[in-house]
Amino acid sequence: MARTLARSGKSVVALDCDSNPNLGISLGIGDDETERLVSMRQALDEGEEEHAGDWSTVLDRYGSDGPDGVRLAVVSRIDNPEPG
Amino acid sequence: MKVAFVGKGGAGKSAIAGTFARILARRGTPVLAVDSDPMPGLAFSLGLDSDEAPMPDDTVVERKEGESGPRFRLRPGLDATEAVERFAVTGPDGVRFLQFGKVRGSDTNLFRSSLAFLQIVRELPDDRWNVVGDLPGGTKQAFTGWGNFAQTVLIVVEPTAHSLLSGRRLARMAQMDDGPQRVVAVVSKARVPGDAELVARRTGLEVVVSVPWDEALAEAERRRQAPIDAAPDCPAVKAVESLADLLSEEMVR
Repeated sequence: MARTLARSGKSVVALDCDSNPNLGISLGIGDDETERLVSMRQALDEGEEEHAGDWSTVLDRYGSDGPDGVRLAVVSRIDNPEPG
Repeated sequence: MKVAFVGKGGAGKSAIAGTFARILARRGTPVLAVDSDPMPGLAFSLGLDSDEAPMPDDTVVERKEGESGPRFRLRPGLDATEAVERFAVTGPDGVRFLQFGKVRGSDTNLFRSSLAFLQIVRELPDDRWNVVGDLPGGTKQAFTGWGNFAQTVLIVVEPTAHSLLSGRRLARMAQMDDGPQRVVAVVSKARVPGDAELVARRTGLEVVVSVPWDEALAEAERRRQAPIDAAPDCPAVKAVESLADLLSEEMVR
């Protein structure tokens, strides 16, 4: 759907809100790039960002360009086997 | 033995776990099958009509002030074995079934029952019982305290890009977890001879069995029937039998 909208001329942001994010694969950016994407929440947790910038800054920094110009960003990914 | 099935949603965990539990039960050892998914599916793969198998609220008590341990636990005098014998639903072949994650009522009740769940699956003696866990899809629960009751964690992986990536993430999380668990892969819906090799290479895990794509198993799921009842001789059920053989032999050794 994101690719189809982009092809009709719209600017499209695709947000992957799954803690096991796989949307990049279906968008066509490949699984290596899908894994490489730093999630926005992790960047904030790790102190790379002092605070969340405005949405366009966050998208510029942590998003990835996919085919047809779709911009993909990952909201949160679970990486650590922490209890809770 | 105590095993947990994890993997991406839709990979086939419930069908494989339910069939695996039934096979173990037919071999004579008591089996507790547990489902901790908020959208439970294991009951139907076991051949039960309903997925309602909660524990009564009064089986769980809050920790007294000054005591250590989790905030909620089974009430004094009620141990894991008795809790299972009294409250678990009995299914075909005598499989006992408890369901823990289904959202009903308040969050507090869910939290209470989840701690009782963890206590039961950890404390149930594995020299008398087999425990087969079907965990929710994705990477959230597998290594965050929910899967560590199991001696063997089976990551169910389909030969698709999404499922392989999820399998790789789960394998990585398993390595970071410092438990003594063995973590292996089960290929699900394999279609071509290279699928098992693909899963091994992309996840870095040992593949213990390759369950083929099987229209008879898919049809059983469409009809909400247990695969082992609807298609006992289909290739997928046979593959799960070989998995039970393999893990049983390893336990004896």
